[in-house]
Amino acid sequence: MVVVLSVIAMISAGILAQVYGITSVIIEENQARALESSVFEVLPGTTQVNIIRRSADELGVDDTKEMREKEQKTSLIYQGVNDAGQVLGYAFVGEGNGYGGTVRVLVGVDEKSNQILNLKVLEHTETPGLGSKIEDEGFRKQFVGKKVEDPIKLGQDIDSISGATVSSRAVTEAVRQGFDDTTAVYKGGK
Amino acid sequence: MASLWKDFVRGLWDENPTFRLMIGLCPTLAVTTSAINGMSMGLATAFVLVCSSALISLLKNLIPDKVRIPAYIIVIATFVTIVDLYMNAFLPNLHQVLGLFIPLIVVNCIVLGRAEAFASKNTVIASAFDGLGMGLGFTWALTLIGSVREILGAGSIFGYRLFPEGATTLGIMSLPPGGFITLGILIAVMNMIAARQKAS
Repeated sequence: MVVVLSVIAMISAGILAQVYGITSVIIEENQARALESSVFEVLPGTTQVNIIRRSADELGVDDTKEMREKEQKTSLIYQGVNDAGQVLGYAFVGEGNGYGGTVRVLVGVDEKSNQILNLKVLEHTETPGLGSKIEDEGFRKQFVGKKVEDPIKLGQDIDSISGATVSSRAVTEAVRQGFDDTTAVYKGGK
Repeated sequence: MASLWKDFVRGLWDENPTFRLMIGLCPTLAVTTSAINGMSMGLATAFVLVCSSALISLLKNLIPDKVRIPAYIIVIATFVTIVDLYMNAFLPNLHQVLGLFIPLIVVNCIVLGRAEAFASKNTVIASAFDGLGMGLGFTWALTLIGSVREILGAGSIFGYRLFPEGATTLGIMSLPPGGFITLGILIAVMNMIAARQKAS
């Protein structure tokens, strides 16, 4: 009984590992391309994207493995440049823990006013119909115009979606954390 | 051959999962906001159904009775994950829309139901045909519901506009209530047709 079940599970794991190996490369490529086009969305007027890499010191992470993981996901700053070569602003990816997994958001910030211009949910596995409302305009637009000095905290200046507090908090924390990290590096480095 | 044909057509009409058996209604209501979404979800489910029914039928004598459900679930989940990964890699736009619902195929009662009711008692080929019939039955049902909702709710079909831009559409048909309304009316129509068939 146990043997049969174990064997089935092992074969299944083996097949999935193979399929994952084939598809993960393509999925990552797709995501990178999608991310770049998302930058155009959160920074209106952008025609070209510069990618600024952040070093490990700036991220404040000692562990190499953790750093590598972080680097893959969140450590890039996307600088939006328009046709005339003018820097319009920058975008960063923030992460928060939602109800069903990690929520990743892309936030665009205006270069001059340092206010959030737009926000896009890149990836989430929240409950359809409840947590998935974090993608809705009504929730997202609460972040527009916020500066890094603002609290950006659920219950203070951000209202949560009823029935989806955890998902709302995930987005808020993703913005808060990413904004802090990125501003420190982007503005501090100048 | 005749019995294989019977296994196949049963799912299309007499035991259509959506309109006659009324199982697997969760994805039915959730993803049928447009024709293409309904069709894609149906085809993904059909693929999982055919593969898992065939494999479970092949393994039916090897799997002890006591652990059959976990074993079936592993088999089904494997195929669902394969569909999920391939869709994410090659159809990323579709995956964005359906992505959340694909993993739910694992617990779709059509798949487990056919494994338990048919595949565990019949031959591999018969099970595959049964799975195909059920899967395509599910597909055409979802496509029909999706088409009705898309035409009324968005004024288009498979993304092609039917009415000129700005024409008044029934927005509610794209929303969850529209799913219930459409499903209810379609079931009524199917029952009517079935009743007439029986009478004649």
